[in-house]
Amino acid sequence: MKKRPAWIASLVAWPIVLLIAFPLLWMLITSVKPAAELFSTSPTLLPKAITFEHYVRVLTDTPFLQYFANSMILATSTTIVVISISVLGAYSLVRFAYPGRETLASLVLFTYLLPSVVLISPLYLMLVSIGLANTLASLVIAYTTFALPYALWLLRSFMAGIPQDLESAAMVDGASRMGAFVDVVLPQALPGIISTALFTFILAWNEYLYALVLVNSDEARPLTTGVMTMLISAFNIEWSLLMAASVLMSVPLIIIFAFFQRHLTSGFGAGGVKG
Amino acid sequence: MVQVVFEKVSKAYGDTVAIPGLDLVIESGEFVSLLGPSGCGKSTTLRMLAGLEQPSSGSIRIGDRDVVNLAPAARDIAMVFQSYALYPHMTVAENICYPLKKRGVAKADRAIKLAEVAALLQLEPLLARKPGQLSGGQQQRVALGRALVREPSVFLLDEPLSNLDASLRAHMRAELIELHRRLGKTMVYVTHDQLEAMTMSSRIAVMRAGELQQFAPPDEIYNRPANVFVAGFIGTPAMALADGSLADGGGHLVVHVGSLAVALPFAANGVRPDAVTVGIRPEDVLVGEGPWQAQVRLVEPTGYETIVALDADGLALTARVPGSNALRVGETVAFDLRRERIHLFDKSDGRRWEPAGR
Ligand SMILES: Nc1ncnc2c1ncn2[C@@H]1O[C@H](COP(=O)(O)OP(=O)(O)OP(=O)(O)O)[C@@H](O)[C@H]1O
Ligand SMILES: [Mg+2]
Repeated sequence: MKKRPAWIASLVAWPIVLLIAFPLLWMLITSVKPAAELFSTSPTLLPKAITFEHYVRVLTDTPFLQYFANSMILATSTTIVVISISVLGAYSLVRFAYPGRETLASLVLFTYLLPSVVLISPLYLMLVSIGLANTLASLVIAYTTFALPYALWLLRSFMAGIPQDLESAAMVDGASRMGAFVDVVLPQALPGIISTALFTFILAWNEYLYALVLVNSDEARPLTTGVMTMLISAFNIEWSLLMAASVLMSVPLIIIFAFFQRHLTSGFGAGGVKG
Repeated sequence: MVQVVFEKVSKAYGDTVAIPGLDLVIESGEFVSLLGPSGCGKSTTLRMLAGLEQPSSGSIRIGDRDVVNLAPAARDIAMVFQSYALYPHMTVAENICYPLKKRGVAKADRAIKLAEVAALLQLEPLLARKPGQLSGGQQQRVALGRALVREPSVFLLDEPLSNLDASLRAHMRAELIELHRRLGKTMVYVTHDQLEAMTMSSRIAVMRAGELQQFAPPDEIYNRPANVFVAGFIGTPAMALADGSLADGGGHLVVHVGSLAVALPFAANGVRPDAVTVGIRPEDVLVGEGPWQAQVRLVEPTGYETIVALDADGLALTARVPGSNALRVGETVAFDLRRERIHLFDKSDGRRWEPAGR
């Protein structure tokens, strides 16, 4: 294939990037504009003065940090629960022969096809009956119900690409099956596990609907619903604070993405295991 | 002494019976090849010995232990896989040391062993690389190294050379023979390449559809194939096989095959089968002079010799003629047969039949 000059690619790519990034840019700009400038009759793209007062207010005057901690705990525990179950489950689906294995796999996919709204009420009633309503744990369980099937399917295809000979070799070399799993399968599946973990984390971090329905106390409210309820009332929307909170909300995801970007792309590219 | 014994071992995958019942005794220090066409159960046999498949019934012994219920790790074996199965995330050194590490060998001792094996297989310059950065031949040597480092009592090799190109394969064949001679360990080698089996083995187990056809040293497999299948499978170009019958020609045994009546240098006494399959190897067809005529059907010069397909009045024969021969397709040539070397098989069961006095 002939190599296209880089500037043509840039010419196409940059407008698209700008188009997608504009709302984010606007969010960032609004969050540092002084309140007076915000509603001036001639809107400005670049702020005349930069202020961090909104950030200070969000962090000190509101329960933002509480929500942030809740979201962190929630997304992290969901990820840990989902990944530990789905890694073992996917391995079992790929490696062991037992009756009903294929049925099980398709059933898992089927649950993923159900719209999550229809599951809210029954889930809520179940959580109430086991005494978990209105807790972070209830959200971990709820998120697990829809993140797990997805994670299982993703990891299943990753693990199917790992040659079985590798485990056989490890077992002949002296490892138990569990040892072979840890020494050989896990390192091979790592890119897949990292991408799946990332997806799960983002899913849990951004989830709104279940959080809105299942939790209504400040102790257990995550950022998504927390920020909304504290800054949007029937009378007034605190735009500056909302934007500052939104920026702060995105920071962890940006950091994680920057950190794992390499794994994420290699995760997407996997499946073509070199022979 | 580490004998390997298969006793009435069978293996079924669901409804498909891969191995109906295998009896095989491999003596200590032997180099045994499992040879047969694709799907005949060679890998299954090896994997049962390694503990990677559970036999459906029967017992397998390594030394004086019945290993059927032992995990692969406890069987004191090492295996080289067709895919090499090198751990992609480990360096060559880590790959080779992995079996030692799993068996709790101290780090200092591991380093000594690694150095030994690396020197033996000329792997020193590669130790820090990952398998993905090695050529096929180098990967193959690393896989061998990982098997050698532990000094197990039995080595299992599943088509380890099949991914290599022809010249490297010949080279590795020689190295494996040398390695076996030096170590004196029992080796079980799976291949569908008869040249590998013939050159390396002390005995060859020829298999077909899960059943053992013949288990004998290479020269016996070649010169005295136990049945029609082995006769046709071993040897390139293949032995010509045709239906024939036996008769008594004044005290001599006479084979009628096609329109030929071949008097054999054997007495015609004793019972003999009614119908036979007659086997004639290409090198036993002598083109040039002789009592019979044949038409040349095909001429394949290979440089060192020329393979000639002949049609003797409906009987298809193959001959090897030395050098690049001036034979033409369609030409009629005279030929003779090395009569004492004609193979006879009872047509009713396909088994080899020996005339009295051979
Ligand atoms: N996991 C399995 N499930 C079902 N059938 C199997 C399985 N593994 C092997 N078989 C069948 O068992 C038979 C023997 O297979 P095996 O792999 O031992 O053959 P092979 O002699 O090693 O062939 P090749 O030379 O192609 O490697 C084949 O008919 C194969 O289809
Ligand atoms: Mg095989």
